[in-house]
Amino acid sequence: MDAVAIRGLAWKYAGRSSFAIEEVDLTIPAGAFVGVVGPNEHGKTTLVSCIKGIIPHGFHGVWRGTVELFGEDVRALGSQRLAELSGFVFADPEAQFTSMTVEEELAFGLENLGLPVAEIERRLVWVSDLTGIGALWDKSPYEISGGQKQRVAIASALAMKPRLLILDEPTSMLDPLGKDAVFDLLASVKRETDMTVIVVEHNVEQVAPLADLMLLVHRGRVARAAPPELFFEDCDLLIESGVQPPQATLFLDRLKRQGRFPGKLSPRFEEDVAAVRDVLAGRARGGGTP
Amino acid sequence: MRRTLLGVVPLTSPLYALHPLTRLATLGLLGMVSLFIDAPEVNIALVFLVFVYLRWARVDLSGLRIYLPLTVTVAVFMFAVAIAFPERTPGSHTFRFAGITFYAESLFWTFASYWRLMAMLLGTIQYFSTNRERETLVAIRALRVPFAVTYFLSLALRSAGMFLEDMRIIREAERARGLDETSLALRDRARLYAMYMIPLFTIAIRRTDEISNALYARGYTITGRLADGGRRTDFIHTRYPFRTRDTILCVAQGALLVAVAVARVGFGAFTVAHSPLRRLFLAAVGGA
Repeated sequence: MDAVAIRGLAWKYAGRSSFAIEEVDLTIPAGAFVGVVGPNEHGKTTLVSCIKGIIPHGFHGVWRGTVELFGEDVRALGSQRLAELSGFVFADPEAQFTSMTVEEELAFGLENLGLPVAEIERRLVWVSDLTGIGALWDKSPYEISGGQKQRVAIASALAMKPRLLILDEPTSMLDPLGKDAVFDLLASVKRETDMTVIVVEHNVEQVAPLADLMLLVHRGRVARAAPPELFFEDCDLLIESGVQPPQATLFLDRLKRQGRFPGKLSPRFEEDVAAVRDVLAGRARGGGTP
Repeated sequence: MRRTLLGVVPLTSPLYALHPLTRLATLGLLGMVSLFIDAPEVNIALVFLVFVYLRWARVDLSGLRIYLPLTVTVAVFMFAVAIAFPERTPGSHTFRFAGITFYAESLFWTFASYWRLMAMLLGTIQYFSTNRERETLVAIRALRVPFAVTYFLSLALRSAGMFLEDMRIIREAERARGLDETSLALRDRARLYAMYMIPLFTIAIRRTDEISNALYARGYTITGRLADGGRRTDFIHTRYPFRTRDTILCVAQGALLVAVAVARVGFGAFTVAHSPLRRLFLAAVGGA
């Protein structure tokens, strides 16, 4: 079953003259890790908000088309069912911390689902082990850093064990160490759970190596949807669309244009290094991907 | 020490063995009992007892120095008013000092009122020096206050924290651009604080949207009811067991408050007229 099935989706915010997104047709298979990139104000957040159901439930506007989460129409679902199906992590860690301690924050969503106390206890331990925030349980929002807050926000969403986890620019307000910690955590989520994950992110360099599918959202449309190996085929188009491909991929792209590298472009640094070694040794064959 | 919205609380304390409702009952007792006590020596003793209690609770007493200017300012204002506008009742005892006529009863009544106020104030300070917002919410939930009310309170507390944090960031940004507040005249400083309100309220309005989306994303409903009509789980409440000793302490504190109220209203106890300090004072100023 597809995790997300979008058909003919268009959304216009009330009071705006144009659609924020339109003509979106997209399917995301269950268990996929999806990276969503694109310039600011081109519809990335609107798209994932439609998938989560925040749009149209929390906003006024014009909606066309359908969005299905695991076969259920998001417009017909209540907040609790939507929370069971999908978790959402916002860009600003400060604004999503609604409780007075980390433990309460982790338990909040689980309480809303009406889970038994013993199950909440189990999930808190599980998610704290996964995200490494066990030592923060008793801390208040005033005592932890922005990076820790974002890890708590991700843990709060993960604790609900949604089938789909959406993260909207989760590293945009973090320092480099905080960003690395979030991506390490996402790698663990991919490795240790079977969740479908959608990450809206400007940092292509870090999201692409994790992704099974990359989406380019440009001018309110899904301009490209492809596995990473194909997504970077036309680097010029990506740059024109305001997306900066990984430097190593760009380097291979140059070599490819000069006819010195015949393979596929990979966003994974180690594979690119191996491909360049092959080129230098004069034995390039299949390129950066196996 | 652990940070809270209003200050800090001890990391560990024997007080934490008590249920938050028991601690809230202590606030109720200390906050209200002085309303029935005029005699200053009793209120002074109460203040002393609260200090002992705070020390037992491992509160850093040096941190309470921040309240010193408040206590001095209150004293200055109260006594200034009592001296400038004394209550001139028939038979009042007067004495002169530094060319000013003092009315002894009026002055002593101010003294008694001041200590009553201090006892109530310290009773409140002890609560916020030993309890986090979380414990307050647990205590209120234990009183079976509807979920919507307690969660509204919780969000209000959280929002106040964010408001203060945003203000700190704005002020730091101004300092980083060379603003020296200490060099500003009082009027300019007031104007500066008024100017903070624009960005702060803009941020707060934007945050309202974000917080509401964050709540929705995690299945929150204002009724606290599940889709099938059941009640949401109250997990945090289970972290604080209400033991027999809590029952005993809550009942004892309630009974003590009632006893003091009855003693005062029914038997006229704890009035200024019974105060040995008053007798000493009047004797000292020649009015006894």
